[in-house]
Amino acid sequence: MSITNLLENWSDFRQQHPSDDRPHREYKWAMSIDLDSCTGCNACSVACYAENNLPVVGKEKFAHGHSHHWIRIERYWDNDGREFADQGAQFLPMLCQHCESAPCETVCPVGATNHTADGLNSQVYNRCVGSRYCNANCPYKARYFNWYDYPTTDNVWPEPMNQQLNPDVTVRGKGVMEKCTFCVQRLTVAKSNARSAGRGVLDGEVQTACQQVCPTGAISFGNLVDPLAKVGKQWMTQQVELNKDKQAKDVKDVEEKAAKLRGYRILEELRTYPSVMYLEQLRESAI
Amino acid sequence: MIENSFNRRGFLKVLGWGGATVALSGCGNTSVEDGREFVTSYVQTADYIIPSIGTYFNSTCAQCDAGCGIMGRVREGRVLKLEGNPKSSINNGKMCGLGQAGVQAHYNPDRIREPLLRNGDKGEAIPWGKALELINEKIGGVKAENIAFLTGGVSGHVKALLKNYLDALGSGHHYVYEAVAPSIMRAANRKTYGVEMPRLRLDKAKVVVSFGADFLGAWISPVHFSQQYARFRKADNGERGVLVQVESKMTLTGANADRWLAIRPGTEGILALGLINALAAAGLSVPGDVAAVVREYTTDRVSKDTGVSAEHIGRLAALLKERSPSLVIAGSAAEGYAHGSQNATAIALLNQVLGNVGKTVEAPSSIPFPQMAPSTGNRFALQSLNDNMAQDKVKVLFSYGVNPVFTAPASMKLKENLKKVPFKVVFAHYMDETALEADLVLPLNSALEDWATVMPEYVAEGAQLNIQQPLMEKLYPGTLGMGDILLALLKQRRPDEYKGYEDFYSYLRSAMVSNKGALGGSTTDDDTFWDATLSHGVVKLVSTPVNMSGNVSAKGLVVPGPFAEDSAYPFHLIPAVSASLRDGRNANEPWLQESPDPLTTIVWDSWVEMHPKTAAKLGIVEGDIVEVASRSGAIKAQVYVFTGIHPDVISVPLGYGHEAMGRYAKGVGVNAFKILDPVFDKETGELAMHETRVKVSKAGRRVVIVKDEGPAGGNQMGRKIAVRVSSNKVNLSEEV
Repeated sequence: MSITNLLENWSDFRQQHPSDDRPHREYKWAMSIDLDSCTGCNACSVACYAENNLPVVGKEKFAHGHSHHWIRIERYWDNDGREFADQGAQFLPMLCQHCESAPCETVCPVGATNHTADGLNSQVYNRCVGSRYCNANCPYKARYFNWYDYPTTDNVWPEPMNQQLNPDVTVRGKGVMEKCTFCVQRLTVAKSNARSAGRGVLDGEVQTACQQVCPTGAISFGNLVDPLAKVGKQWMTQQVELNKDKQAKDVKDVEEKAAKLRGYRILEELRTYPSVMYLEQLRESAI
Repeated sequence: MIENSFNRRGFLKVLGWGGATVALSGCGNTSVEDGREFVTSYVQTADYIIPSIGTYFNSTCAQCDAGCGIMGRVREGRVLKLEGNPKSSINNGKMCGLGQAGVQAHYNPDRIREPLLRNGDKGEAIPWGKALELINEKIGGVKAENIAFLTGGVSGHVKALLKNYLDALGSGHHYVYEAVAPSIMRAANRKTYGVEMPRLRLDKAKVVVSFGADFLGAWISPVHFSQQYARFRKADNGERGVLVQVESKMTLTGANADRWLAIRPGTEGILALGLINALAAAGLSVPGDVAAVVREYTTDRVSKDTGVSAEHIGRLAALLKERSPSLVIAGSAAEGYAHGSQNATAIALLNQVLGNVGKTVEAPSSIPFPQMAPSTGNRFALQSLNDNMAQDKVKVLFSYGVNPVFTAPASMKLKENLKKVPFKVVFAHYMDETALEADLVLPLNSALEDWATVMPEYVAEGAQLNIQQPLMEKLYPGTLGMGDILLALLKQRRPDEYKGYEDFYSYLRSAMVSNKGALGGSTTDDDTFWDATLSHGVVKLVSTPVNMSGNVSAKGLVVPGPFAEDSAYPFHLIPAVSASLRDGRNANEPWLQESPDPLTTIVWDSWVEMHPKTAAKLGIVEGDIVEVASRSGAIKAQVYVFTGIHPDVISVPLGYGHEAMGRYAKGVGVNAFKILDPVFDKETGELAMHETRVKVSKAGRRVVIVKDEGPAGGNQMGRKIAVRVSSNKVNLSEEV
């Protein structure tokens, strides 16, 4: 494959949903996170540990960067040289963005990470050989590698703590890459139940663990194809379009000073086409 | 369904023997054959169990005292995950990280599994019958006045049984102790509003000014307040509430404020009075006696005393005048200081002047069953117990739901005084610091395998009784619920009254069913009522709002000036209450240890927070190990430098530094409770948590802090990852 061929026929090599000739059919799972509601309390992260059998790695391995928090709270300061952080912190729940054109997918030598028809970036554990290319290529640092065999590591799941493990989710072994799945085990059940009832999954029928726990309801999750879904309405109101790398807001910000939109996707300019939209944090100017 | 630890090999053995097992039965080849274990086919499963399908049962979270309703997901007889119960008005289906970790308290490998009797330095396992008989015998040998029962906050039927037991003994010595409770605020509220815990309506307020109340993190009922906060930030009409946090050390709530004002520690009352003065000057009508008191608090003087700029005082006063109703909350500003009660009164006065009482400060409801109403605790109770122990007045001590050896400041000498008590019974989940001092340790069921009723102190609407029910079979046959233990003890004293109850469950059911009329079940039969109660997990009680007085008098209100400099101990120590670890009772749950602190992102250790200016003055950089020494002791920990703290202040989180308890808690960090100075609030006698003065010196070593933030330390380096805009640029009413 020559580089010329790659560049000329780019769209053949990159999966890009939805395209006009191949739109999402039944489902396109997506999320929106309101950073003005998010308080940075970490409940989402702990709920993810509970739902998805994430190992607690301990201090030493955490220091080596081996922590497994599929959703983590990034905390930024915007002091601008002022003496105090007098407008508080900026919290941002970071998880796999389930990019429609995911940089991790194209580099996997064995096709362990790929795109599902529902628009999920999926990870097939028993196909993964641990090359970690995907991790290197992820701009969001949302992938976590099993450097150790945690099920047999001391004090990760000692008896009887292993009884808490969720039987719906694989316990990953050494040498496997893992990441947020949008709680695919819950999606599968919801889809199956809906199919049995001869309908599609209704909005609110399935929740991710992080969304379910969030005390301020900052996280919405749902099916972007469903016109009744809250998440789709949010995307539409914010004029964020899945298959664009520049949104109305970016244009408007330049054209008119008072653009009323606050939806954005992180590092959109990389053309990853993320499935997670964030709403900007607000701060009152009168005080 | 395969019960107990019947493993695959055992199963194959049964298969392999096949028909031969008939001939060989009774020879004891497998545990199945001789009846110690049995195999049940899926055809005859227990009710509700469908293999691979989770069933949800409602219960109550016991990780803190907020009393959130939970739903436990149960599959094949195991509880896997906790979700919020949407029917509970406290948390409406939501939870916090601390609550999520409840399953780790249940499945914790370090739980005590059988009663232990002290034999020299060791605990010797004894049967329950012997343990209870021993208690009976020890109690029989002492006077009733020499028996003391120390507990954390208790409510519901366990509290009623406890009271009955104490009555049966003829002793009224029930000490209720909470290490980090808002007890000064309760006392101040009782004085100013006539109730300890008025309802705060953040969702109705347009401006919230919080003096150190971490209502999003660790204060009273964080999940409930977080939900109100979401509505406050995004009201139905699109109006966005403004949060101003005034404190000396940034809390999680402070990190979410539109304006975080770093105030010189202890001067919060001065700022409150200064704001009243500024509001009066701006034309707000202020009663004459109040105006007279605040007249001398000019903006210039207040700014000088508090360190808050005159510009911010002016803008805050203007905002409060312009946007009504507002809500002013007294948190650590009241709890922290010897003049904490005065601070709280000054802050309540500000609420009063702003006309918030009755609008955003509402009356709570009466509690229909006072014998089950929550007994809230304070630190003063521990002090009285400690004094009595020192004077040899306590011969038998029971301790339940508290860990005073860990949470009492070293200056109390509690551990030494405990040794004077001849017989100490500790009800515990772990061998914690207090259990190690006990003569008899009685292992409790986990909250997910126990029966109880809980009446939370702070209820959002009306009054409610929460049901705590087992979500699975007990993990260990040797543990018992607190209700069962109390019932067994009561049977020793009042056999005629209690012999009809086989266990606490039958007592609870009979007590609830016999009162079903008041519990909303007057028209249903007993079984239907009981099933519905368990199914809902919450019982709404008929209640009416109590009368709340709203006349704060400025008479006699004196707020002292700023602290004098102390050259020997130049810094104020703020022991921080973190959302995860609180007073340290949950420290052995690894999810919480590995959950980064929201502000510093540090895991698995204690730290010393310091402002960059202070660090530069002392020649300290991040990761330096320093000694923080007060007049009462010293601790060593790593320094974290950040701008969310006043330069005169040093902050160390509480809950770390266990010397026992379990593998995840022991030896992690240092215990900041120990070095707190014995300074007390003048009106209530409560420990003033922020009054400790410390000095800081380098201890030589430097470490790389284990934390989640990257080397950029929270700087986005110009990338637009987390974006912040001014709220006047958007229109929330147009959003979904």
